[in-house]
Amino acid sequence: MSADDPKSVALGTEALSKHFGGVVAVDEVDLAVESGELRAIIGPNGAGKTTLFNVITNALDPTSGSVYLDGEDVTDVPQERRPHLGLARSFQGNELFAELTVLENVRVVAQTAAAGPFSFSLLGDGRSVRADEARDILARVGLSEHAETEAKNLSHGDQRRLGIAMAIATEPSVLLLDEPTSGMGPGESRETVDLVQSLQDDLGLTVLMIEHDMEIVLSVSDQITVLNRGSVLATGTPEEIQGDEDVQDAYLGGVREDL
Amino acid sequence: MSQDSTAGLLERVGALRLGVWQVPVGLLAIALLLRPVISNDLLLGYPQIASSFLIWMIIVASFNVLMGYTGLLSFGHAMFMGIGAYSVAIALSAFAVPFLIAAPVGIVLSALVAYLVGRLIAHKGEIYFAMLTLAFAKSAHFIANYNPGGLTGGTTGLADGTTPAWIETSRGFTYVALGGVRIDWYWAVAAVFVVGMLLMWQLVRSPFGRTLVAVRENETLARAMGVNVRRYKVWAFTFAAAFAALGGVLLEINNQGATLTELSIVTSGNIIIMAVLGGANYFFGPLAGAFVWMFVEEYLADFHTLVLPLAEVPLVHVDVSGVLSYWEFFLGLLFVIAVLISPREGIFGMVKAIVDRIAARVRGDGE
Repeated sequence: MSADDPKSVALGTEALSKHFGGVVAVDEVDLAVESGELRAIIGPNGAGKTTLFNVITNALDPTSGSVYLDGEDVTDVPQERRPHLGLARSFQGNELFAELTVLENVRVVAQTAAAGPFSFSLLGDGRSVRADEARDILARVGLSEHAETEAKNLSHGDQRRLGIAMAIATEPSVLLLDEPTSGMGPGESRETVDLVQSLQDDLGLTVLMIEHDMEIVLSVSDQITVLNRGSVLATGTPEEIQGDEDVQDAYLGGVREDL
Repeated sequence: MSQDSTAGLLERVGALRLGVWQVPVGLLAIALLLRPVISNDLLLGYPQIASSFLIWMIIVASFNVLMGYTGLLSFGHAMFMGIGAYSVAIALSAFAVPFLIAAPVGIVLSALVAYLVGRLIAHKGEIYFAMLTLAFAKSAHFIANYNPGGLTGGTTGLADGTTPAWIETSRGFTYVALGGVRIDWYWAVAAVFVVGMLLMWQLVRSPFGRTLVAVRENETLARAMGVNVRRYKVWAFTFAAAFAALGGVLLEINNQGATLTELSIVTSGNIIIMAVLGGANYFFGPLAGAFVWMFVEEYLADFHTLVLPLAEVPLVHVDVSGVLSYWEFFLGLLFVIAVLISPREGIFGMVKAIVDRIAARVRGDGE
C-alpha cells in the first residue's frame, strides 16, 4: 500500500468523494501518484472509475475532499484551467470535434494550450497557429496520413488515438486516460499501450489509466489502484494486487468478466 | 467550350488560384454586381431595393457567427439590429446627434446589451438559451412599444427627423450628399458591406474564431481541453450583436426611421430562416439565404411586373399572380425541404455540391 502524502506527489487526492443524491459514486478516495508513474485504475463496472476522473478534472464538482497537482491544492480550480496546469484527460467515448479535420482537432487544442483558456486573438489565420506542433503530435501518434480527414470519418481505433493526441497537445505533466484501448482488438490494444508508454517516456508524463484488459494492466503498470463501489479496495504493484485476497473476492464475486 | 468545363474552370479559378482571396473577391463581386444584376428586366427590373439586400446580408451573416460558427441558436437576434436602428433614430430625432456619432454609439450599445445578456445566459443549455433570447427580445419589443418618455414612438415607431441632412431622396432613389459630392446610397452601403463582412470573416478565421468552431463541435471536449467555453460564447454573442447593429444603423437610413418590425420576434425568426435556407455551414451561406429570401419576396409579391411581358405571348393566359403572392408560403416550403435534406448545408451547400461534382467529373475526364 502506498502511504505517500498527496501533497508531495505529481497527483494526489485526499478523501475525495462524489455523491449523486444518495448514491456514493466516489467514496473517500486517497491517491498518491508519483511523478513518472504509470498507474492503472481497475475495478468492476460501476466502481466509479470514470467518475473519479471527472472529479479529479473537475468536470464534476467533488462533494468533498481535495485534489493536489504537484503539491498545489487545485480543488477549486475550474475545469478549463486544469489543462493549463498540466492535467489532461482523454474520454471513454470518442469525444471529438467531429466536423473538423484531424489536424484541426489537435491544432485548436495546441492553440488553446499556448493562448490560455480565453484569448482575444482576432488577427491572422487561425489554421496556421501551432499547426507545425499539431503535425508533430499527429506524426507521433501515427495519424499523419489522416491529417486532412474529418475526425468523424476516422476508424474507431484512430479516433481513440486522436483523443490521446489532443490530450498530449495540452502539454500535460499528468495524463488521465479513460480506457484508451476500449473497442480495440488485442493487436491494436497492444499498439496503443506501446504508444502510451513511449509518450510517457519521451514527455516524462505521469499517467493514470483506466483499463479493463488485465494482461495489459499487469504488464505495464508501476502501481495499480483497485476501485470497488467507489472506494479504494487496494493499491500496490502488479504482484501485490495479484496476491491480494480482497481483490480476488471483489472480482470473483460475480464480476469475473471484468478481469 | 461545354457548360461542364466552364463550371470546372470557374471552380478551379475560384478554389485554387484565389486561395485566401476567395472571400474578399467574392464580397467585392457581390457589392459590385448585385445592383446591376437584379436591375435586369428578367429579374426585378429596378435597383432601389439593392441596398436592402446588402443590409440584410450583413444582419443574417452576423446571426450566423452565432449559429453557424458558435452553435448558439438565438431567437432574439433582431433585438440587436433593432437597438442599432432605434439608437440612431432616437439620437437623430430627439437629441439631434449627428449620425456618424449616433451609429457607433448604437453599435456599442447593442454590443454592451449583448455582453450583459450573454453573461447571464450564455452558459445555459441550448433550449434554455434559445428561450431566454426569445424572452429578452420580447422585452425589448415591449419597451419600444411602451414608448418610454416618448422616445421610441410606440407602435408607429420613429420616422420624423430620423434622416440625416446629408441624405437626399428623389424618385425612390437615395443619395448621400456630402460637400457637393453626391453618391448613390447603394455605394455607401456597399462600402460598409464589404468592410463589415471582411471584419466578420476575419473574426471567424482568426484563432478566436477557430475556437468558436471547436465550441460548436463539442463543448464538453473544448472545456476539458482548457477552453473557457462560457467566455467565448459571451464574446461571440457580443460581436454578433455589434454586427447586427451595424446592419441596423444602415437599415434606419434605408427605411427612413425605425419601426417595431425591427424588434419583432417574426424578424428574428426570418433571420434564422434566411441563415438556414442559405446554409449555416458556409460563410457565404447566409448571404445566399438573404438574397433568395428578399428576391423571392420582391419577385413574387410583385409578380404582375413580370406577367406583363409574358402576357404578350398568346399561349400564356393563366394568371398566377394571386397564388404567387403567398411568397412566404413558397419560401417556407423551400425552407422545409432544405432542412429535411441537410439542415446545415442550405442552398449554398447544395449548389456547391453540384458544382464540385461537375468539376470533379471534368477533372476526371481531363486526366
